[in-house]
Amino acid sequence: MKQKVEKTAKFDAFTLISISIALFVMLFIGSTIFAIIIGGIPNFALAFHSEEVKFAIKLSFVTATLSTVICMLLALPTSYALTKTDMPFKRTASILLELTLSMPYLLLGLSLLIIFSSGFGKMLKEFGIKVVFNQLGIVMAQLTVNLPFCIRMIRTAFSDVEERLEYIAQLLGASKFEAFRTITLPLCKSALVSTFILTWSRALGEFGATLMLVGITRMKTETLPGSIYLNISTGNNSMAMATAMIILLISGLALILSNLLSRNKSCGRTGGA
Amino acid sequence: MESSILKIQDYSVRRGDFLLEKINLSINKNEIFAILGKSGAGKTVLLESIAGIYPPTEGVILLNDRNVRSIPFQKRNIGFVYQDYGLFPHMSVRNNISYGLKMRGCSKKEIDEKTENMLDLFSIRHIASQFPKKISGGECQRAALARALVLEPELLLMDEPFAALDYSTKKKMYSELIKIHKKFSCTIIFVTHDFSEAQLLADRIGIILDGSLKAVVKSENLMDEHYSEEIDIFLGRI
Repeated sequence: MKQKVEKTAKFDAFTLISISIALFVMLFIGSTIFAIIIGGIPNFALAFHSEEVKFAIKLSFVTATLSTVICMLLALPTSYALTKTDMPFKRTASILLELTLSMPYLLLGLSLLIIFSSGFGKMLKEFGIKVVFNQLGIVMAQLTVNLPFCIRMIRTAFSDVEERLEYIAQLLGASKFEAFRTITLPLCKSALVSTFILTWSRALGEFGATLMLVGITRMKTETLPGSIYLNISTGNNSMAMATAMIILLISGLALILSNLLSRNKSCGRTGGA
Repeated sequence: MESSILKIQDYSVRRGDFLLEKINLSINKNEIFAILGKSGAGKTVLLESIAGIYPPTEGVILLNDRNVRSIPFQKRNIGFVYQDYGLFPHMSVRNNISYGLKMRGCSKKEIDEKTENMLDLFSIRHIASQFPKKISGGECQRAALARALVLEPELLLMDEPFAALDYSTKKKMYSELIKIHKKFSCTIIFVTHDFSEAQLLADRIGIILDGSLKAVVKSENLMDEHYSEEIDIFLGRI
């Protein structure tokens, strides 16, 4: 009797339909990854002997790391201001960030191109800061694309920290900065590490804004996604697949690392077993 | 005449849809004062207002004749114990207790000495290196009290301090509170919805209903006074 009840609960029409759709979706997503693996494995060794791919890996790593560090440095105080202070135009700032998040990256790249091709950009160029068609532009493109994402992630983490804990810390003698340093930041540690890894991973795969701002010049502004684009354009499919495999591997590793580090989420109860 | 530590004058504050209205109250030094009311009456908002957390809509709260909001947080010398204790979850019990001393720049020797004293006073030495998640409600309560009292505050605010405890732990904590009051000779204001708890521990009781302070009475007279109908209903006399 009991078994019958369990069977009915397990296989009602709604559950069956949702599981079927989920399996179809998994198959669809899985096939995209599978296609890269199948195409990438035979050419994987080829990629590691290619100077071009080595250059792209190095450039992607350096620019992604640099842009992520800058992103975090800017996103931390911005998120604090947006969640913990009574800064003016908070609502407008939130709308602005959400809008940037929903914009196509190509459009963000176009905006950057307009800004850095203007008088302001030319002035920067005179001071030796070359952004357009330059490696610095890659960092700028990654930063622009990722900053709203990074701010959103950190804002969520900061909002999860009970405000009362910060008040208590201040009543116990901490300044606002000390309360932030000793309470808010440690409680968000795993979320911040995850944000860093995900932002870095996104920066590594950034293509649209970079393409618009710096273009893709072989062995000059050739990042990993740029390398795939160039190789596909010139008919070198095997090299493109090998590079895609490298990106897939790096993304997979970043995901595993992010999951491992977020497993011990420290935001939580404040007492009582 | 007893000198007052706290004066609340025509104080109103809005928190979302809730309005705490025109509170007038004076608390004497060394007094134990209970804020009694049902859930949602505004007890915690009043307590947090006394700590100076919220900017008033009107009126003022004076701590030792100074507007509490004009005193920097860290110089208010107020201890606050929340209903769920508000222990820092990423710190051990020992580090929770020593936190305030560190923030106030005390020497290592003083920090160690005072922290160890508190661990003994509240009989929580055995859980000193444990984290709040791993200890019981009663132990959390003791740790939170130790953290607040290690700084010898002039005013101790407690939000439903015994609500989450079982009956026997609650009884133990009642006597601990009386001991604490004697030892630290601080003023204590605590929030409760329990009449007998308020009568047992407090010198005076303020009854708060629907965001306004309806009456202030000596605790021994709580059930003898004549009140308005709504207070009588709250006290279960009608």
